[in-house]
Amino acid sequence: MPTLQSIAPVLVRMKKVILVLSLIVAVFVACVKDDADPPAPTDPPGGGSPVVFDPAQVPYPQLSTYHFFEGALSDLAPSEGVLPYMVITPLFSDYAHKSRFVWMMPGSAASYDGDHRALAFEDGAVLIKNFYYDNVQPAGTRRIIETRMLYKKDGAWHFANYVWNDQQTDAYLDLDGSYTPVTWMDENNVLRAVNYRIPSGAECFTCHKIDNLASPIGPKPQNMKMDFAYADGTMDQLAKWEQTGYLAPGTPSTVNSTVRWDDANEDLTMRVRAYVDMNCAHCHAEGHHCDYRPMRFAWSETTDPVNLGVCVEPDEVLLPILTHIVARGNTEKSTLFYRIAATEESVRMPLLGRTLVHEEGVQLFEEWINSLTPPCN
Amino acid sequence: MKKSLLSLASAVALYVHGQDQCATALPVGTGTYVVTVIDGTQAPFPICDGSGVNATMGEWYTYTPSQDTALTVSTDLPVNAGRDTRVHIYSDGCANLTCAGGDDDSGSGFLSVATVNVTAGVTYHIAFDDRWESDGFSFQLAVGPPLVGPSGFTPQPITTVGYANCVVDMNGDFLDDVVSTTETVININHQQSGGGFVPVNITTTQADNDASWSIAAGDLDDNGYNDLMYGGGSGVTFMMANATGTAFTEVSFPQYVFCQRTNMVDLNSDGHLDAFSCHDVDANVYYTNDGTGTLTYHQGGLGETCGNYGSLWTDYDNDGDPDLFVAKCGCDEVDILYRNNGDGTFTDIAPALGLNDGQQSWSSAWGDYDNDGDMDVMVGTSTGDYHKLMRNDLGSFVNITPGSGFDTYTGSSIEFTTHDFDNDGWLDILGGGSLMRNNGDLTFAPVLIQPGNGPIGDLNNDGFLDIVNGSTVYMNNGNDNHYLKVNTIGTVGNRNGIGARVEVVSALGTQIREVRSGDGFSYMSSLTAHFGLGADTAVTQVAVHWPSGLVDVIPAPTIDDTLNIIEGSTTIGMAEIGAHDLSIHPNPVQDMLYVHSMSASSNSRVAILDAAGKQVISTTLRNDQVDVSSLPNGTYILEITSKEGPLRAKFTKR
Repeated sequence: MPTLQSIAPVLVRMKKVILVLSLIVAVFVACVKDDADPPAPTDPPGGGSPVVFDPAQVPYPQLSTYHFFEGALSDLAPSEGVLPYMVITPLFSDYAHKSRFVWMMPGSAASYDGDHRALAFEDGAVLIKNFYYDNVQPAGTRRIIETRMLYKKDGAWHFANYVWNDQQTDAYLDLDGSYTPVTWMDENNVLRAVNYRIPSGAECFTCHKIDNLASPIGPKPQNMKMDFAYADGTMDQLAKWEQTGYLAPGTPSTVNSTVRWDDANEDLTMRVRAYVDMNCAHCHAEGHHCDYRPMRFAWSETTDPVNLGVCVEPDEVLLPILTHIVARGNTEKSTLFYRIAATEESVRMPLLGRTLVHEEGVQLFEEWINSLTPPCN
Repeated sequence: MKKSLLSLASAVALYVHGQDQCATALPVGTGTYVVTVIDGTQAPFPICDGSGVNATMGEWYTYTPSQDTALTVSTDLPVNAGRDTRVHIYSDGCANLTCAGGDDDSGSGFLSVATVNVTAGVTYHIAFDDRWESDGFSFQLAVGPPLVGPSGFTPQPITTVGYANCVVDMNGDFLDDVVSTTETVININHQQSGGGFVPVNITTTQADNDASWSIAAGDLDDNGYNDLMYGGGSGVTFMMANATGTAFTEVSFPQYVFCQRTNMVDLNSDGHLDAFSCHDVDANVYYTNDGTGTLTYHQGGLGETCGNYGSLWTDYDNDGDPDLFVAKCGCDEVDILYRNNGDGTFTDIAPALGLNDGQQSWSSAWGDYDNDGDMDVMVGTSTGDYHKLMRNDLGSFVNITPGSGFDTYTGSSIEFTTHDFDNDGWLDILGGGSLMRNNGDLTFAPVLIQPGNGPIGDLNNDGFLDIVNGSTVYMNNGNDNHYLKVNTIGTVGNRNGIGARVEVVSALGTQIREVRSGDGFSYMSSLTAHFGLGADTAVTQVAVHWPSGLVDVIPAPTIDDTLNIIEGSTTIGMAEIGAHDLSIHPNPVQDMLYVHSMSASSNSRVAILDAAGKQVISTTLRNDQVDVSSLPNGTYILEITSKEGPLRAKFTKR
């Protein structure tokens, strides 16, 4: 039987005290890290990749230990064997930019498991995702905030998250979650600010779970079937992975792929479907965090407008005016629209991963909902 | 949630010119009328559908009933298919328009249906507006017998900020106040003794976490002013009131918690108010209080898996300490009931009690629905229509959903809470878009009321419970029923008396309430125990069973009033549970337990529960004695069902 007394207490402190203590802790941790011996690089088979990845020792306390990048770490220039990749429609993360990389243990490869499922990776696969802002004020420079990592070990995916130091020389393992304020000038010369959320391990898991097992979201063929400008030339990503040896032969040459959510040449409904797949389906799909609500937002399921919530009454009426999840022709009565345009923690959707409103995304939904006829009954 | 339509007989539609202003409103009787276009220059105001969104044009009518009746104004007519209407109903004349009712979309599609009780001889103004469209439509006026149950709620605007999710007394005058918060402001609308509110904005430091998911209130540092607990999406922040209740100090904890329901409760029975938060994606957390308001974080032992949404602390087994029920949803949706073992440990006994349901529930409503002295429960679903009503037979539960009204109730909600909204002495359940009114026989019937779930309290001190929805207070119109309100003032234990059980005995039976900080899913409702008394004009007695074990009994209090009871003010030092009319000896006992009670008789039912709350002996009282020789050694509770209600005492078998 669990007892109340058996739990080690953590003392609460007033805010000021916390600040002081965390400074002390930071200094202390830094000292410890300086004293630690980084693991020596293993001899890469074939003399190629310099990456250090000992399954018995990961996650390392520092990002630099892996040698995923060469040169100055903040350049994020991939080492040999580290392959950059993109997804057709990305998740909105408070306007942060992202760069994604994959690395696999020499000799291992992922295999195709359906257009709409993540590739089947082997142990030793690592997915690396850097989050950064450009033109950060006042200096107008790039600031890398965090490097999130999913790695496979003993048949299961694990999370690691590395928070970059102010000097941008290295990043340190931290799965406790924290906030950091960022102010930047965006591409349209609009000054923006966010109290950026660096997720805790529990937050990572909330979105990355299927039937309570951690899983990648991005690397599905439906999201990856696109050209990428590699250093040695532009190539289809899946073909490149196969050429590299990171994808076992047998992947179909045609894939039911999503579209770019911001591609004005694409069909409006297809763009909406792509948007909800990447931003919403990690909760609103069978076996995922919020599968008990009626929406089914995965790309493979939204050919049916009912799964998008069109003319579906919500389980929970947030306001009397919000009569449907999507009320054709009427954003004011559409719960989905209300939630994606909200910032209150308990109202906004997605719940995690954003605190700002994705204005361009909201515009997409406004255009789409207004295009739908006739009104719902 | 859209409700089913009225069945309306088609009538000959009368074409009348909609009148453009309140002052020139057209008198109409029952029947069906056609509005050709909404172009009246006076837009209806105030707004009576609770949305607070104004319109620009209106059409005005009046109706004057010849007798007290329920008036229904409906555009839910086949001829209006595809139309989108909104209606407001006012009393008090054009110079002082006061909302009596109103509706936007309760009818099929986006049509409107509003029903209000109206008084003979009073002229009511009915106004339609162009909130959605100015096209013409038809409407029907019909009358029926006055509504039973709550006679409706009157919306009244109030200025709030951010999250308006708390109703509690903040300045120690025992009048409920409306509390709303942002990251940097605590807004308190102080209820005035003469009615109305005086608002005050108190600036705080920028809170690490806001009250986005839930809020709880209680006096953690025992300084006379309630503190607040914000349940945020990434952690917990406490706002500690200063010695005059005029400023707050932020205490934020660094640990990540995806808060859901938060509560304050003395969970280790040390006399100090502790705090608890459900965690959506990990084990639940709690904060123990050293007696000065300094809190210590803990995780573990009170729900180890994720999916914790609606926690409610209740003494389900009547052993005097608080137990924890959690309505669960999502990644591990199986509900848990952690029985307080009284020694700092808790045990999940939901499976043994049939309460380990896997429906997607965000909250549960615990109350004594049959007034038999123990807490029954309705676990309401947040999706679909699987609700579960369980009758507590003092420690064991019987599923009485079939035939209860909840088997056919299709309303789903993340919020289900219980209060007596019509003061008839039977606890109703609010949630799922309707008020489920308790018929007094463990069956419930839905009554449409305008407000949805929100924080609940008596905001005009008239003895009827009111509901806040955002920036609208829905004042309960009340009825002729009587009431009694009880404030519990702790001395040995926490100042609010949170965890105390209040028992009111009147002709209609014995009612119990628990003083709770945090019920339903997100809101904080009044800490005053509220009792409807129906037609009863007297209360035999009020008893408070404090968390300390003390029991105070007040005979024959004045009703239709508020009674403040101070812990220990009538009896000091009694350690038995509820022993005001029950004494036992010997204790410890070996074979025969002798019972003395004024209200127990030779036919009274006797139950003996073991420390696990399990009934081990069920018999009737004979010659004022109970044979306990068959019991193994241990601590037990004797319960006697007397004509005055349940009597309980704790004893030790040796």
